[in-house]
Amino acid sequence: MNRSKKASPFGPVARLVVQAFMVILLVVSLLPLYNVVTASLKSLGEYSTNPILLPQAPILDNYQYAAFSGHLLQFTVNSLVLVPIGVVLYIVVCVMSGYAFGKMRFALRRPLFLLVLFMSIFPQLLLAMQVSKLVSLMHLTNTGLGVVLSWVAYFAPFGTYIMTTYFTDMPYELVEAARIDGASQYRILWSVMAPMAMPMVATLAIIGFQSMWNELPFSMLILQRESLRTVTVGIAVLRGQYGLRVPILSAALMIAMVVPLLIFLLFQRYITLGVTAGAVKG
Amino acid sequence: MRHRRGLERDGAAPYIFLAPLLALLAAFMIYPVVMNVVTSFTEWKGYGPWKWIGLANYKTMAEDGEFWTSIINTALMVLYIPLSTIVTLLIAAFLREGIKGWKVYRAVLYIPNLLGYVLMGIIFSIYLRDDGALNMAIKGITGSTVRFLITPGLAINVVGFLFVVFLHLGFGLIYFLAAMNGIDKEIYEAALIDGASFWKTFFRVTVPSIRFAVEFWVVFNFIEVFARMFSFIYTLTQGGPGYSTFTLEYGIFVQAFSKFKVGYSSAWSVVLFLFCAMISVAQIRLMQRRDE
Repeated sequence: MNRSKKASPFGPVARLVVQAFMVILLVVSLLPLYNVVTASLKSLGEYSTNPILLPQAPILDNYQYAAFSGHLLQFTVNSLVLVPIGVVLYIVVCVMSGYAFGKMRFALRRPLFLLVLFMSIFPQLLLAMQVSKLVSLMHLTNTGLGVVLSWVAYFAPFGTYIMTTYFTDMPYELVEAARIDGASQYRILWSVMAPMAMPMVATLAIIGFQSMWNELPFSMLILQRESLRTVTVGIAVLRGQYGLRVPILSAALMIAMVVPLLIFLLFQRYITLGVTAGAVKG
Repeated sequence: MRHRRGLERDGAAPYIFLAPLLALLAAFMIYPVVMNVVTSFTEWKGYGPWKWIGLANYKTMAEDGEFWTSIINTALMVLYIPLSTIVTLLIAAFLREGIKGWKVYRAVLYIPNLLGYVLMGIIFSIYLRDDGALNMAIKGITGSTVRFLITPGLAINVVGFLFVVFLHLGFGLIYFLAAMNGIDKEIYEAALIDGASFWKTFFRVTVPSIRFAVEFWVVFNFIEVFARMFSFIYTLTQGGPGYSTFTLEYGIFVQAFSKFKVGYSSAWSVVLFLFCAMISVAQIRLMQRRDE
C-alpha cells in the first residue's frame, strides 16, 4: 500500500530483513523496561528464583513500600511543585532574551549571544561546587528558590538560543507595524510577538520541564534535607542505599516514570518539535 | 551605519530584556567558572581555610593515574560517536523507506530520552547485575555470566555503548528523520530510476543532503560525552569498579565531593573547561557556515 505512494529501493527480501531487524531492536530495547516492570510486581523470594519470566503471584507491596517508606510519593509532589515554577521563570527569561537577540539591535548583541551559546554547553560538574557554595552564601540551601534559580540559570542559555532562532525567522514587518502604531518594546513583545510564538513557547516549556525534571547534581547539592528532595534526587539516593532490594527499587522506578510518560503521551508533538528546535535546515 | 541607527532605535530596552538572563549567568556560571580557576591554585577542602599552592595541583594531576584513566575513558567515549552516527543514520534511513509501524519504533526508541539519564542508569544497573535477569538468561544458555559492570575493561565499554549509541538513538531518529524530510523527493525518484541500490542512495544522496544535520549531531554527541554523562555514570556504575568508569566530569565529582579535594578538583575542571571551549568553537563555526 505504501508502495503506490513511494517507490522503494528495497526488494521484498531486503524489506523483510529490515523489518525483522527493527522488530528485534524494538524487543531488545524494551527488555530492560520489561525487567523493571515485572520485578516491581514480584516478592523478593520470587524475584530471586524467577528474575526473568512474568510474576507467578503478582503483588503490590513493593509499590506501597516505595511510595511511602521510600518517600517516592513525597518526592514526586516536590518535583511537581518546583519544576513548574522553574519552567515559568525559564520561559519568561528565555522569551525576553530571545526577543532581544532575535529582533533588537544593540552594540553588544553579537558578543553576548556568543557568550550565551558558549554557556549552553557547560558541564554541570564544572559549576556544581561553586554553585552550591554560592547558594549557601545566599542562605538558599534547602530552599526551593535556590534550586529553581540554579536550574533557570543553567538551562536558560539553550532556551534563549532556541527562542532567538525562532524570533529571528519571524517577519520584521510585524515589529515595524506595531512600532508605527506607537507601541513600546514591552508591548510589542508581550502583546504581538509572544502570542505569535506560542507553539515555540510550548516546545520550550517541554524542553525546560524535561531538563529540570531529570536534573541531578544541582538539586542533589542544594536540597540536602530528605523531605525536600526531587524525585530524580530521591531515586538516585535510593539506588545508592546498600542492600536495597531490586523489587522495591523497581517499584520506585515505576513511580518515578509516571510523570515523564504522561508528559510524553500528552505532548508528543511538542517533544518532536523540541528535538529539531534550534537545529537544522538541511 | 546600520548599527548606529539600530542603537538609537532600541536604546536601553534590549539590555533591560536581557537583564534577568545576564544576572543569572553572572551569578551561576561566570562567577563559578572564575572561582574555579582561582581555586585550582589552592589547597582547599570546600570549607574552612585555603592555602595558595601555585601550580602544585596541576603537577599532581599530571602524575595522577586517576586523571589519565579519566582522560582515556573520555577519549574512548568519543570513539563511540562514529558508531552512534552511522547506526542512527542507517536506522533513520530504514524508517524513511516507509517500514511498517515506523512511528511506533520512533516513539519506543525515544523512551530512554524521555526517562532521562538517572532513571536509565538505574534501570540498566538492575538489568545488567550479575544476578540480574539478563545474566540469568545468559547463564541458562552458556553456563556462565558476563560481568558487565564489574569487569573493568568491559564496564567502560558498556557505559560507552549504552550512553553514546543506545540512549541517543531515539533522539537521533527524530532529528535525522526531520532533516531527511527536507530532501527533495525527486532526487530519490531519479536515483531509483537509475537503479541505485539502497546503500548507494544512502551514501550518495541521503547523507550528503543532510550534511549539516550530521555535523551538528556529531558536535552534539561531543557535548553529551564531555558535559552530560555524570548522572548516567553516577547511577549505573558510580565510577567503578575502582575508577575504571571515571570520565573527566565524573572525576571532578569524586575529587570534590567524595575526597573533599576541592582545590585539586578545580584543576580537573579547568581541563574540562578547555575541552568544552574547543567544542563550543567548533559548534559556533558550524553555525556560521550553515547560515552563510
